[in-house]
Amino acid sequence: MEPLINAVPYTGWVYPNETIFEWSVLIAVYPYLTGLVAGAFTVSSLYQVFGFQRLKPVAHLALLTSLCFMFFVPLPLLLHLGHPERAFNSTLTPHWTSAMAAFGYIASFYVGLLMLEAWFAYRPFIVENAQNKKGLLGAFYRVLTLGSYDVSEKALRIDQKWILWLAIIGIPAAHGLHGYVGFMYGSLKSREWWSSDLMPVIFLFSAIISGVSLLAVIFVVSSKLRKIPIDLACLKGLAYTIWGFIMVALVLEGLEFANIVYKGREGVEMIMEYVTGPLLVPYFILQFAVGAILPFLWLSYMIWRGTTGRALIIGVTTCAVLVLFSVFMMRWNVVIGGQEISKTGKGLMFYQLPILGKEGVLMSAALIIAPFLVLVVLTRLFPPWEHEATTSSSLHAS
Amino acid sequence: MTNESKPKLAARREFLAKLARTATCAGAVVGAAAALGVMQNVAAKSESKSTGGSFPTKDYDWTKHQWAFGVDATKCIGCLRCVEACKTENNVPRNAHQFRTWVERYVYLEGEDKPRIDSQQDPVNIEASGSEKEYRFANRYKDAKVEKAFFVPKLCNHCNHPTCNQVCPVGACYKTEDGVVLIDHDYCIGCRYCVQACPYGARFFNEEHGVTEKCTWCYHRITKGLQPACVEACPVGARVFGDRRDKQSPISLFIRNNRVQVLKPETGNGPNVFYVGIDKEVV
Amino acid sequence: MPKHIVRLISLIVVLVVVAAIAKSYLTVDSFYRFGHYRADSVPEIAAQIPVYQTARYCLDCHTPRVAQWSASSHKSVTCEVCHGAAKGHPQNGKLPIPKDAVKLCTLCHEAMPGRPATQPQIQVAQHNPYTSSGQQCTACHNPHSPKIVAAPTKVAGNASAGRQRAAACASCHGAEGISPNDTWPSLAGQNAAYLARILSAYKSGDQKDVAMTPLAQALSNADIQNLAAYYAGLSCKAAPSGTTVGDAAAGRVLSRNCAGCHGETGVGNNPAWPNIAGQKPGYLVNVLKAFRAGLRKDPMMAGVARGLSDKDIANLAAFYVGQSCQSTK
Repeated sequence: MEPLINAVPYTGWVYPNETIFEWSVLIAVYPYLTGLVAGAFTVSSLYQVFGFQRLKPVAHLALLTSLCFMFFVPLPLLLHLGHPERAFNSTLTPHWTSAMAAFGYIASFYVGLLMLEAWFAYRPFIVENAQNKKGLLGAFYRVLTLGSYDVSEKALRIDQKWILWLAIIGIPAAHGLHGYVGFMYGSLKSREWWSSDLMPVIFLFSAIISGVSLLAVIFVVSSKLRKIPIDLACLKGLAYTIWGFIMVALVLEGLEFANIVYKGREGVEMIMEYVTGPLLVPYFILQFAVGAILPFLWLSYMIWRGTTGRALIIGVTTCAVLVLFSVFMMRWNVVIGGQEISKTGKGLMFYQLPILGKEGVLMSAALIIAPFLVLVVLTRLFPPWEHEATTSSSLHAS
Repeated sequence: MTNESKPKLAARREFLAKLARTATCAGAVVGAAAALGVMQNVAAKSESKSTGGSFPTKDYDWTKHQWAFGVDATKCIGCLRCVEACKTENNVPRNAHQFRTWVERYVYLEGEDKPRIDSQQDPVNIEASGSEKEYRFANRYKDAKVEKAFFVPKLCNHCNHPTCNQVCPVGACYKTEDGVVLIDHDYCIGCRYCVQACPYGARFFNEEHGVTEKCTWCYHRITKGLQPACVEACPVGARVFGDRRDKQSPISLFIRNNRVQVLKPETGNGPNVFYVGIDKEVV
Repeated sequence: MPKHIVRLISLIVVLVVVAAIAKSYLTVDSFYRFGHYRADSVPEIAAQIPVYQTARYCLDCHTPRVAQWSASSHKSVTCEVCHGAAKGHPQNGKLPIPKDAVKLCTLCHEAMPGRPATQPQIQVAQHNPYTSSGQQCTACHNPHSPKIVAAPTKVAGNASAGRQRAAACASCHGAEGISPNDTWPSLAGQNAAYLARILSAYKSGDQKDVAMTPLAQALSNADIQNLAAYYAGLSCKAAPSGTTVGDAAAGRVLSRNCAGCHGETGVGNNPAWPNIAGQKPGYLVNVLKAFRAGLRKDPMMAGVARGLSDKDIANLAAFYVGQSCQSTK
């Protein structure tokens, strides 16, 4: 039985080998997930390192969110590899000229860092539960204590220092984790649509807005589910963060596109034909207009008018959802869009998204939804809600 | 505790604490050193089992050759026997979308200044050959007013600075001492980053084997004194292969006697397939 | 330092050490030997077995064929291009002889924009009116020596000098060039260029015949020219010949394959090739069989005759004997 080859239709002139798409939607999901991780961590760091007090209610939630999504980050890659059982080759013999080789080490380091920071943040809670809970759950917490029940002031002060330093180190780590993905695309000479010095930074800033938006949505939804009033100051803090970073993201993406058009290198006609044709809706309308400019204007309006209460909640949540959608479209437009433009600069291909199969719509949806389910479990084991949060954070910058 | 022994106790505690700290650090250092030592030991034990003499085979020494390829597009007749030979020789999947080598046709019709370009994946050509397993150019321009037309064979350029090597995360793609860029099919993890990175579209992913593939200049043939299969099959001598170290080899003569050029020189990759007779529209 | 920090750090150190050891242990041997790749991969790739064998491989068993091919205009087309890769041959049986010559030959020889003018190309539909009826290229072109050599058509001979010399030939070929029996061919009205060519071939040994060879060797080149001029000038009488065994109607169908060179009724348009209309059937049968067996040498006829059965040959002879030898032009 011949293996399934899904050759795609094309127009113009493309190389014969290009008619099979190599990087599918999974490779758009992967940077989306790492982006959410980096963005969520940024919120946590804004509180831990930069002292944004109004973000305190979501600080631990951010940490847990980052951790949950981080668990799922390797999955789209493993599903895509031709030989997933050999995936460790990149850790055993990493080829350092390849940005992709960095993944094994940065990801391992970062997941370790996240787990460590969460552990320190939750230590008093773990210690308390180790002593109170019975059975398997109790055993779980007892193992996590590493045998030490020391929650004295001195110990907690040291813990707080660790949290601070981990958060500080975590910023470049998280940004490296996502930035290298942008570099992977931006450093390639073969595709004009990808080749750009700005690519890592664009990926990073769009990652941050996606992560912060994710947190906003989770915060609102979880507060509603727990039937407690939403902390409007916190929500506004998140809104400000999104608003600020959207501006930078918009400027960077706009600059990148302007550069391509202005420099007018060979192949630019095909890019223009593509962007004003098949990519018109996904790029200009969905990614930019609906997903970035609209939320930006709406947030600007709310900030200008000092909107509060229900209007603020609805406004910020909707903007956050639009931003989440826009950032996914950005990943899609880069990964899929880049491959649809032929390396010849004289042709276009048309990606056909399968529904079933390991690289289809259902799998992608599953990969994005699953972390939420794990998050629900984690919030049961390590509740991030403020009134049960660790006493260490009350020590910090009082 | 009496007041007098408190300072002593504190001093003792402090000393013990210091000792514990030093011990931990020392332990860490020793542990790291042990690890390094073990690593070196293991590395020394795992010396390659290859023969100490000629590499890679006892009849062929890769330090004595520097291979290169030439394409004379003025001679190519577009018969596609090279494509057929390559697919048979290297067991390439028999379809119209995965090629280690292929031929492109450029046709300028009267009144048009942009050429019409087609190759083996074009449905019209697939129909002319009867199936995706056989290769033929359809004679679609025989009734048209053709101003200029020619054929260009393409294959992996075995660059001096291959982008594919650069981006491979595991080191499955490499350049040999004799100038051939090869893929280690037992080490490749199938991430397809190299397929994205190649500016020439020379690589493809083989779903059946889960690894990427590309033209190897028939390394298994050239190390035995044979020619690559496509060079062997070409009936008009449009493909030239040889050792640049040998000044009288076909490729040395080809390069010396012709004004040769390469594809996409602006990438800086330094390709080693030299073309004669292509024009500005060939990418 | 608090207990949990100590334990944490120890745990981390242990994990790092274990990871480092695992990394170096699990890294395959031969990696890093020449660079960032597995050195053993190179001999593994070099050890693969070639599939195509090159013409040298065919030479040992197919010597005459390879010799013929390597002296022909197809010497740049290696055997395996048309016959398939020779790996496993002869152990796995014969290599295919391509059946659809038109499909194969037109891959290279169909006139197509883009093909350099140095490449021999044909407009398939116009090449030889009978190609469109499905006639295979191999009817006229031997793939191992495909060029059809145009023999010199000018015969500068003296017919009367030839008549004198022809006295010696009359015992077999008849006083007026009409053969007295079925076996020996009539020569009257035959193309002079052909006669000159075939006599020269007998003389030089390119063509061998028990009777003709010594006779031709006794001729000078001038004699050959004269004889050719003489016989060409004779009138071939449109006389009916003896009874023949064979189905002329069936022969007519087969003769369409011959018409390209010998004309529809056996009177061809190229003087290098013989007219066969009205020719003695016994002679035609013998000579076709001789071509088929390789006893009479001609690259084109060998290919044509290979596919003929004895019955086909008899039918063809029956057809041609009944044709008028007068030119229909």
